[in-house]
Amino acid sequence: MYRIKLHGLGGQGVVTAAKILSHAVSIHENKFGKTVPAFGHERRGAPVFADVMIDDQPVLVNSFVYEPDVVMLFASSAPDRGIPIAKGIHSESILVINTGNEQLVQQLKETYRFKEVYYVDATGIALAEIGRDIPNGAMLGALAGTGIVAIDSITRALVENFKPGEGDRNARAARKAYEQTRKK
Amino acid sequence: MKKEIRRMLDGNGAATEALKLARVQVISAYPITPQSPIAEKLSELVVSHKLEARYIRVESEHTALSCAIGAQLTGVRAATATSSVGLALMHEILGVASGCRVPIVMPVVNRALVSPWSLWCDHQDAMAERDSGWLQFYTENVQEVMDFILIAYNIAEHTEILTPAMVCLDGFFLSHSTQPVMTPDQETVDAFLPPYRSKNLFLDPKDPMFINNLTSPDEFSEMRFQQKVAFERALDIIPEVQNHFAGIFGRQYGLLEAHECEDAEVVLVTMGSMAGTAKYTANMMRKAGHKVGVIKISVFRPFPVAQLAGLLKGKKVVGVIDRSAGLGAQGGPLWLEVKAALPDNDTRVFDYVAGLGGRDITEKTIETIFTGLLQKVNKKDANPDAPGVCWIDTHPDAMSVREVIVND
Repeated sequence: MYRIKLHGLGGQGVVTAAKILSHAVSIHENKFGKTVPAFGHERRGAPVFADVMIDDQPVLVNSFVYEPDVVMLFASSAPDRGIPIAKGIHSESILVINTGNEQLVQQLKETYRFKEVYYVDATGIALAEIGRDIPNGAMLGALAGTGIVAIDSITRALVENFKPGEGDRNARAARKAYEQTRKK
Repeated sequence: MKKEIRRMLDGNGAATEALKLARVQVISAYPITPQSPIAEKLSELVVSHKLEARYIRVESEHTALSCAIGAQLTGVRAATATSSVGLALMHEILGVASGCRVPIVMPVVNRALVSPWSLWCDHQDAMAERDSGWLQFYTENVQEVMDFILIAYNIAEHTEILTPAMVCLDGFFLSHSTQPVMTPDQETVDAFLPPYRSKNLFLDPKDPMFINNLTSPDEFSEMRFQQKVAFERALDIIPEVQNHFAGIFGRQYGLLEAHECEDAEVVLVTMGSMAGTAKYTANMMRKAGHKVGVIKISVFRPFPVAQLAGLLKGKKVVGVIDRSAGLGAQGGPLWLEVKAALPDNDTRVFDYVAGLGGRDITEKTIETIFTGLLQKVNKKDANPDAPGVCWIDTHPDAMSVREVIVND
């Protein structure tokens, strides 16, 4: 079972991304995804997280993710805001981060001892493709870059979950991010 | 032939879909976190004519249920849904529905009761209504939310039952968790769930009758007794309906579910979404060689005494997780039922209060409980704490949280 923790800020589409991810694997990959969103007093700009579990068999656990195999950071400023991005990680845990800054990537990898860091400027891609600073589609594309989910499943799920037009634009952002994702 | 599609739904979405598939014709719901999406989505369905129903805007849960009762008495399925203090505000009217034998099926999104004020999950809201004369179902996952609501209609409306039903889903852990759900088509559901016909009491201007009139001591006990008989019959009829459902939809449910119990040295009794986490944790512990099992109580009212006693026969150590405090009682409400079902003095039953006010019942919490239960096996002397209630996930410094200065 893959356990994925998505960290970001209110307004970045973190919870929506978590739902689309379980949709992508459950509907298009014959796997079982379960999204457990955090529930609090959400507001724009405040730290927000959501959890996803993916398995080949039905996911029994109805609890949050405490030992993530994958951490996704929608806001590269998260560590500075005191968000504990590396809490519960293990020797195989990987990080997927929204940044084009290689120096930051290197720094995060060394500081938090992630096995691998996948990175892409998802915000830049979102601004170019959808014209808004909502990097969730692009971040799902970056996740596909790790091989955990197929990019085609992501793009189909995006089209199915957004309004016509919006879905296609997000799917383009996801594919571009997938192609541009690099690994350290 | 059944036609089902796999869809992604959260618990609220599944509840809404099930009410739609049951062809409810009158809806009176008052929004309350975390139930609000049910009230909202039903109104959207009505406005868009995807559901042909009347939506009554009400000012409280007290009125929401009152309207639903009045509507259902005219011969249609009426829907409402609530949570927490909303359910508490329905308290008086819950008794009207059950006493008048109006078989409303109501999703209850479990949330803590005040105070401390909380938006988050525990079972105290539904537990406070466990003697209200309603059937109570508890669901483990979103698929069960959908299926149990459909099943509950068939049971509640059964001629020998005629008793309303709450289908409980854990706030947020189910209501807001997106999961794959096999969603049946309307035709198959119609075959399983024929159109509603009011039985016994009804409202018809052409054929007036007294409903809920003052009842003298000469008849009161007898009418309560009729309800008691319905609950007893429900223990037979629920499995029949569940088998009928399985024949059509292929998903088999029971009054309770036993997971790896046969050779288990210790068994943990659970209810609601925690059951899934407990089963997963049990699987992991079995891989490490520990013989642990889980029971999930799907039907709390009527309580499946004989079935539970049968499964736990010969077990030396049993644990129970109560997701409500049971203040002042010898144990939580679930523990009381389990304990009373096991007259055998050789079985020690330990109560664990966990997951209050939204606290997550984690794999670690379950593992800690299992480990403690395994340590109790083969020991004549119980843990000195036993048989008291163990608040397993409460911080040790609990008494210093928001400490109040006591005046002399």
